[in-house]
Amino acid sequence: MNWLISLITPVGLASGAFIMVVAMTLLGALIAVAARNIFHNVLGLALCLIGVAGLFLYLNSPFVALMEILIYVGAICIAICFAIMLSAPMYLPLPPRHPLKILGALAGAGLVFAFLALLTKKTTWAAASVRSDDWSITTIGHYLLTDYVLIFEVISLLLVVAMLGAVVTARGGRGSS
Amino acid sequence: MGSVNPFFLGCTLSLVLSLSAFGLIMIFTWRRPKLSLAISLTVSTICLIIAWLTFIKLSALKEPLILSVDWMMSDQIRVPFGFLLDPTSLLMFVIVATISWLIQLYSIGYMAGDSGFGRYYAFLSLFALSMLGLVISSGLLQLYICWELVGLSSYLLIGFWYEKFSASEAGKKAFVVTRFGDIGFFMGLAFLVLNFGTLDIHSINSAAMSKAFPAWLLTPAALLIFCGIMGKSAQFPIHVWLPDAMEGPTPVSALLHSATMVAAGMYLLTRLFPFFSCSPTAMTVILTICTITLLLSSTIGMVATDIKQVWAYSTISQLGFMGMGLAAAGLTGGYLFAGFYHLTTHAGFKALLFLCAGVFIHHFHTNDFFVMSAKGGRRLLIPMVTVTIGALALAGIFPFSGFFSKEAILAELWNLPNKMWLGLGLLGAFLTAYYTFRVIFVLLFPRPQAVGGGHGVEEEHGHGHGQEEEHGVPWVMAVPLIILAGFTCVLGFLQAPIQKFLLGEVHHHAPNYVLLVSAVGCALGGIGMAWLDWGAKGAKWEGFIRKVPVVENFFIQKWYMDHFWRWFLNTVIYGLFSRTFTYNDRRVVDGGVDAVAFGTIGSGRLLSFIQTAFLQLNLLFMVLVLGGIGIYLLMGR
Amino acid sequence: MESARMLVFNQLETYLYLALMLFAIGLYGVLARRNLIAVLISVELILNAASINFMAFNRFLAPTPAVGQVITLFIMAVAAAEAAIALSIIVAVYRKLRSVNIEQATELRG
Repeated sequence: MNWLISLITPVGLASGAFIMVVAMTLLGALIAVAARNIFHNVLGLALCLIGVAGLFLYLNSPFVALMEILIYVGAICIAICFAIMLSAPMYLPLPPRHPLKILGALAGAGLVFAFLALLTKKTTWAAASVRSDDWSITTIGHYLLTDYVLIFEVISLLLVVAMLGAVVTARGGRGSS
Repeated sequence: MGSVNPFFLGCTLSLVLSLSAFGLIMIFTWRRPKLSLAISLTVSTICLIIAWLTFIKLSALKEPLILSVDWMMSDQIRVPFGFLLDPTSLLMFVIVATISWLIQLYSIGYMAGDSGFGRYYAFLSLFALSMLGLVISSGLLQLYICWELVGLSSYLLIGFWYEKFSASEAGKKAFVVTRFGDIGFFMGLAFLVLNFGTLDIHSINSAAMSKAFPAWLLTPAALLIFCGIMGKSAQFPIHVWLPDAMEGPTPVSALLHSATMVAAGMYLLTRLFPFFSCSPTAMTVILTICTITLLLSSTIGMVATDIKQVWAYSTISQLGFMGMGLAAAGLTGGYLFAGFYHLTTHAGFKALLFLCAGVFIHHFHTNDFFVMSAKGGRRLLIPMVTVTIGALALAGIFPFSGFFSKEAILAELWNLPNKMWLGLGLLGAFLTAYYTFRVIFVLLFPRPQAVGGGHGVEEEHGHGHGQEEEHGVPWVMAVPLIILAGFTCVLGFLQAPIQKFLLGEVHHHAPNYVLLVSAVGCALGGIGMAWLDWGAKGAKWEGFIRKVPVVENFFIQKWYMDHFWRWFLNTVIYGLFSRTFTYNDRRVVDGGVDAVAFGTIGSGRLLSFIQTAFLQLNLLFMVLVLGGIGIYLLMGR
Repeated sequence: MESARMLVFNQLETYLYLALMLFAIGLYGVLARRNLIAVLISVELILNAASINFMAFNRFLAPTPAVGQVITLFIMAVAAAEAAIALSIIVAVYRKLRSVNIEQATELRG
């Protein structure tokens, strides 16, 4: 019973919640990729993204976690839903998967996984000698408008261009309504 | 360099202005004749003023002024760009600026109403730019660039009436034929650079004078450069382009023949005179070629019926005469004065002769002086008087400028040990006087009945504007004639000052009465012969050469030089080289390109199965390779 | 009481491996799925893996912890732009081919 009691300590609670968040992320990712129904995929993605937001909480960044939910779950997932509704009718039977392709994809993903895992394992991660502990949103805002203002502006430009591009592309060419 | 020398500034200014006049007219104002004329004439006037100012200010010049900037340097080789102002270039600068200004003035009248008026002035500006640049350039490469520019602008101007087939052909001929010589010139430059490591005119000359170059290297270099001179100055055997160059507007012919295109060759010979005179072999070759040219063109001039053709052949012969003078001076250790002096006087009276011819052509719409004479050519008073002055100068009659300069050249020939050259020179002088006064007497004593249909009244006058039947000569055309006639009368008496200016001192030598008498005798003999054949009351109006029909035909056919070149072109160039190169082009070059193309297409076909259009397959391979390489790289660590 | 450093959620490697798994799953999706929308979803997973990496390094290694967050925000903005473009392309492809199956978009086959 000792481990059960240790669960209700703050650290234990935190660990338990962390395991749940990780499970949510991985499960969501698996659903997003493996489910045959495209709508289930989107739901899996949403679940996974909420899990990632939880991870961000554990990484001391509640603001980014909030943004993650707002932008990804709130905006991108909804946009994908629209695309689904605008495109493929879901009742159509999908052609069967080719086992060789699945195998190839597994091999490719596995190989890259192995490579990156090896890389992670063999690297010695050294923290910066002097680390500030300023995590506040104020500082983020400060950075956005001072050191990174150029990138900020460029990204706003990128968003405009993307929006225009999306409109032009989806409109279906000159003259179509 | 602290302050810029004002003379160099002036030189730069004249070049830049000419170039910008050309650019402005060609880009913006070529549709507007008045504006183009204003731009071009303004620039030309500025150049004229700069040239005379520089000339006067520097007339007591002791050491040449040099502005030289290294344009390219590579190890031992230095290619300088800049200006070299010494008496030779200053005198030529003034001549070029003056003649081109007069021609621009004259062309206002001659070219009035032509549809390409603006373009014409743009080309004249380009011509002035290239010739001025050539004259004052300090390095041979810069000179070569301007040399080619001169060739280009003469091509543009000779083929100015490009809608006329013969004109565009003549332009092409001029360009291609002079290119023969220019290849030699360029090889000469390469030879100079490789062996002596410099292209700076001044240092080449001073090195040559101090015998720094071995003769066996110097002779081929000199001969190669002389190839370029042969092309430009229309010396035998590549003189054939010059008579055809008559297809251009007559003021252009005047420009080409007096101060620019053909003078460029002789100018180069003068410029590198110390260099050339270090190689007696080269000078002998030059003397021979120039003598052949003198006799050949004089004899052709005797039978030509086109007034511009006669003047063209006289130009060739006078260029040969200049070359003889320079070569003789080089062989006997003399000075460049005689040849260059003749170049100066010739620029004056030849421009005069051509401009007079232009007036006649403009008035009578024909190039045939028999027809002109029949139509009453002598009634045009000003050109008639001035053309007679020019002809007297060309024949070498006292007191006109040609007399003095011919005298100087004959004196150089006299110094040669072999008197054959002197004899040939005198023969040339005799023939010159004869064919010149043939034209004059025919014009002065018309015989309308003598002109049959045989000469063929062709409408050589290409620009068909509504000719208003004015009797008399427009003042813009008359003024240059009078100015040039003035030069022709005066220049002879300036022999001593010009000699002092060019050489720094006057070389007096006792007048050689034998030579004087024989030269004047030859000239008067020629005139007398012409009088007997064409002028006198009972004259037959037949050249004395008619008595030997074979020879006359030989001359009329221009010594068969055109035929020779035609044959040469057909058999050697087209038959041999062209065919070989065509075969090479078809089989080797095209074949090679085709093989590469087919190989590319074939291998593309072969490998195109890889492009399955399955993006994910491509991506998969990419990922697999990436992962494989990554793991392989990490294994060793 | 064990040190807080030993806790699983206080270690860099945990997050790195987690991001790696997310990346591998996303890569598998990109390679295996035929539905273009599913491919897009997988790409979003890959982007998130990258974000997690940034945040983890930010948390454990970086000298100024605000910078990583800024970069993650940038990634989100770029992902939004990318999603907008990709979705419009998908719609256009669907209009043209009447399908969102990537295997049917084979007009460029060699």
